[in-house]
Amino acid sequence: MRRLLQLLGLTLLVAGWPASAHAHLVNTRLGDFYGGMLHPLTGVGDILPWLALAVLAAFQTAERARWVVVMFPLALFAGTASTLLWPSLPFVPYAGIALIAIVGLAVAAGIRLPVLVLAGLGVIVALVDGYQNGQAMVPSTDHWLFISGVAMIGYVVMTLVVALTLAFLKGRGGWREIALRAGGSWIAAVGIMALGLQLAMPATS
Amino acid sequence: MKFDLEAKTVALALALTVGTAATAQAHTTTDVASGLVSGFLHPITGLDHLVAMVAVGLWGAQLGNPAIWVLPITFPLVMAVGGLLGVAGVELSYVEEIVALSGIALGAAVAIHLRPPLWIAAVLVGVFAIFHGYAHGRELPHAADPLAYGAGFVLATGLLHLCGIAIGLLVQWPFGERAVRACGAAIGCVGFYFLLGALGVKG
Repeated sequence: MRRLLQLLGLTLLVAGWPASAHAHLVNTRLGDFYGGMLHPLTGVGDILPWLALAVLAAFQTAERARWVVVMFPLALFAGTASTLLWPSLPFVPYAGIALIAIVGLAVAAGIRLPVLVLAGLGVIVALVDGYQNGQAMVPSTDHWLFISGVAMIGYVVMTLVVALTLAFLKGRGGWREIALRAGGSWIAAVGIMALGLQLAMPATS
Repeated sequence: MKFDLEAKTVALALALTVGTAATAQAHTTTDVASGLVSGFLHPITGLDHLVAMVAVGLWGAQLGNPAIWVLPITFPLVMAVGGLLGVAGVELSYVEEIVALSGIALGAAVAIHLRPPLWIAAVLVGVFAIFHGYAHGRELPHAADPLAYGAGFVLATGLLHLCGIAIGLLVQWPFGERAVRACGAAIGCVGFYFLLGALGVKG
């Protein structure tokens, strides 16, 4: 009976939530934080290099991967914030797509990197992706909430994917790393193809 | 305790949904979706391309480790380079003929259980991948979202390889071995049909 009442209470809470929550978020403008969190997930341009970078980090030791987990969101924050200083850098879209190909190729090759190179690559990916996300901000956006949201989702995705990949690689069977490397080759192929398309028709992208 | 956790999860999910509905549209998600769909459908709608990609997976599975993963990794990567050539407008000759020939060659390799050294198989698949990618690159529509288009395209290609590998894993059984070789023969026939078309022989 008590559980039934709890369920009923939750149902009422769920039914009553949307209107009040929406009004609340609009008033406090906390929606910009969630907007920043969700923005990188609504296009493939961000999530592909993030996934590849997380898998690449996990291919190294867990100790090395931790550096990426720490550095990535910080650089993402800096990259997103940099749009406030430089709102339109023309080379960034090309750099973003080229990085997809580069990180994908690194995963496909299964290369082992020194920790400085790995962390540096993570910082570059984060700066470029952060910048591209920051360009979505409009004058009415609460910039710092949006930037914090982008950095937060970067931290969440990087931590979860690195952890999942490390756990996956600990399982039995030599096919696990091969499967991830095949995935990396797919990501690299996407990057190469998209770079060609971007160069061929920059005006439409 | 578990109930509290579930309730909090639901509440957080709702808050995320409600709070982000408007701002998330900063990305034009319709472009992303249409790019993904058109890219995904592109390799599937051409039978000559489709059978060759399945044949790559079949041959890889038939050759076993490491070909089972080397060939399907090689094909999309090199195909993307071929796609670049096509997009850039580089002129290659006999593209349709070589695409059809790839179906014949790969199908025949599966049908007769050809076992060349790995590097020869990889080079052969790579050469064919250039022409497949080139053909796709020349036909590419003006995608609204190039990245989404590329992701859909490569995903479909990879899944076709996986289909071939899944069928190819039947080689563990005697009946499966015969079935896989029959698939190879059928792919060769499809390739031959397209070769006749490319040469202007069939009506």
